[in-house]
Amino acid sequence: MAATAGGNKIRNAKLVLLGDVGAGKSSLVLRFVKGQFVEFQESTIGAAFFSQTLAVNDETVKFEIWDTAGQERYHSLAPMYYRGAAAAIVVYDITNAASFTRAKKWVQELQAQGNSNTIVALAGNKADLLDTRQVSADEAKAYAQENGLFFMETSAKTATNVNDVFYEIAKKLLQGQQVQNPQGGMVLNQRPPERMVSSSSCCA
Amino acid sequence: MAEAGADSSNAAVDGGGGSVQNDYPTIDPTSFDVVLCGTGLPESVLAAACAAAGKTVLHVDPSPFYGSLYSSIQLSSLASFLSREATPPTSTVAAAASDWHTVVDLHRRIVYSEVETSGAAPEPARRFTIDLVGPRVLYCADEAVDLLLRSGGSHHVEFKSVEGGSLLYWEGCLYPVPDSRQAIFKDTTLKLKEKNILFRFFKLVQAHIAAASASADETGQGDAPARILEEDLDLPFVEFLKKQGLPPKMRAVVLYAIAMADYNQDGADPCEKLITTREGIDTIALYSSSIGRFANAEGTFIYPMYGHGELPQAFCRCAAVKGAIYVLRMPVVALLMDEEKKHFVGARLVSGQDILCQQLIIDPSYKTILDVPFDGSDSHFPRKVVRGVCIISKSVKQGSSNVLVIFPPKSLEEQQVTAVRLLQLSSNLAVCPPGMFMSYLSTPCTDVSVGKQCIKKAIDALYSPQASDGSEDHLETASESTEDVKPTLIWSCVYVQEITQGTAGPLLSCPMPDEYLDYRNILGSTKKLFASIYADEEFLPKKSAPVYANDDSDSAE
Repeated sequence: MAATAGGNKIRNAKLVLLGDVGAGKSSLVLRFVKGQFVEFQESTIGAAFFSQTLAVNDETVKFEIWDTAGQERYHSLAPMYYRGAAAAIVVYDITNAASFTRAKKWVQELQAQGNSNTIVALAGNKADLLDTRQVSADEAKAYAQENGLFFMETSAKTATNVNDVFYEIAKKLLQGQQVQNPQGGMVLNQRPPERMVSSSSCCA
Repeated sequence: MAEAGADSSNAAVDGGGGSVQNDYPTIDPTSFDVVLCGTGLPESVLAAACAAAGKTVLHVDPSPFYGSLYSSIQLSSLASFLSREATPPTSTVAAAASDWHTVVDLHRRIVYSEVETSGAAPEPARRFTIDLVGPRVLYCADEAVDLLLRSGGSHHVEFKSVEGGSLLYWEGCLYPVPDSRQAIFKDTTLKLKEKNILFRFFKLVQAHIAAASASADETGQGDAPARILEEDLDLPFVEFLKKQGLPPKMRAVVLYAIAMADYNQDGADPCEKLITTREGIDTIALYSSSIGRFANAEGTFIYPMYGHGELPQAFCRCAAVKGAIYVLRMPVVALLMDEEKKHFVGARLVSGQDILCQQLIIDPSYKTILDVPFDGSDSHFPRKVVRGVCIISKSVKQGSSNVLVIFPPKSLEEQQVTAVRLLQLSSNLAVCPPGMFMSYLSTPCTDVSVGKQCIKKAIDALYSPQASDGSEDHLETASESTEDVKPTLIWSCVYVQEITQGTAGPLLSCPMPDEYLDYRNILGSTKKLFASIYADEEFLPKKSAPVYANDDSDSAE
């Protein structure tokens, strides 16, 4: 649903993170949303969602970012995680070749689960650790091109390219101008509706 | 990021745990407060409650999807799911002799039986989602809804209204259920006398509910005369309705379509399942408070957009956010007991790995050879429910997407001692393609053959067989002046499901999907199970929902 704020149109978009445990998914989000980096963060616990608004030219994208809550560790993400995602960031660790191999499997899983319109970014994280690199940028870039993804190397630690990934996704979203899902259902919320007053005069 | 937290996703690991012959991961750590096997709704709610209480949780499921017996599965998988064999999965690793554990094999119960399918399943099969718990809804004011809100699971699930309301099958016709004073006023099928009686009854009940909640609030405004007498509250509800002068059809509306009684309340046979006035009014109160609770929900009931399997997924995610570890595709093949066989101390995974825990919780499809001492009730008459699923060509009520139909006892045949419920769902939910509808039916039964017969008669009453070419079956819909053509039955499946209750004790076994329309009974059992292991902990306290980590002050959750 589009909301109007000061003449700008706000586009809501669900964005999901994918990738191995330890690749730095949550660190990327914390850097993007909070500007923070925690050196020895344990596996993702405690936060299910993040929200961040991004201005692109005259338009605004409000990302609702879903983190895996650790369910990716034993490949146990639920279908609801993927459902309705406008964008996904598949994160791997450039110092860990195995994480790149599994990132490819996440891409396949995403293509099997999600809709074909999902914008997919491939993020090679920990780009500050060049000395221990195991995955070349060229290899990842080639894979991304073959599979219709866009690719960036990032560092949540040094903030390199972190905002750029989200900004690029936002631009692609606005270019696509996808129709919002008309089939969307209602989400429960705590706020009592105005009808509550009138309903008290009714009975069943 | 530290590598310390890294682990292989779904890949075999040496890790000193012995050789692994296939692709099962090794679980790290190997000791938890709670281990749960199976991801049905009760297990998932318990996982969320335990994790919210600060317990360490491992939650596994042998299937590649969440939900166990509460799943939403694709049409193409239904037959294999219902015919799952009871053979135990054999561990692929020779079990090392435990010095101090006694190993108790875990077997699968046969839950479903007497599966009968007719018609050709339409293509594409993957576009149809079948709910194993159907027919099932959430009341808008249900505890399930409150649990979703408290736990934060509501953020993960979308709903649609059962906006077509309820219909009563009576003497071969479908009548709208007048479930509120406004509905009574608008109804065109009721006689004026019937309207007055029903209106007066609802007014009385509403006054009682208001007085009861007022006195519960301790604001005692002297509304005592408005309350129903205590002796009336303990009467069978049917007797109270007779005292209020409700004729048979109106009694059927109140008893079966609003109070949701299952068993015949008006029979000559001595029935143990008479609901009291108190019980009936409790359900009417829930029904009443559900109307209008959510601004964007129309009517009393809501349904998960992608099927009931979404609810276990939502609670599992809540548990994961609090630190629970999730492993699908991981059968548990045996349980571990201490030497004296007094306590369960863990579970053996199919990979051969032993996991230790303080508390073991299993889904109801599992059983052990030790079940007899714990499940005394199971060795006697098991409760059963007959369920049906249909794919049909159009709505049973013109212009409505999602509709509930109630067949009171004896409305289909003389032998019908239980109500049959039918829930029709449309493609405004993501359960079938446009132009088709799903219908779920159920009736509890002690006599399976009578139960199946009633389900089939309900199907025949509403739908035409596909093969009818020239002849057109007609169904009188009382709210319309012209006769309506029956929807065509494209495909159907009827099966019998066993029902076991949850059991506390050394081993916690969760309740099966029951015969009821909602989850109150199941969640009540689940709550008791939680209290039996963590008596001092609050069950999913308010504000156990995760903080919406949000940098945008404008955003509302």
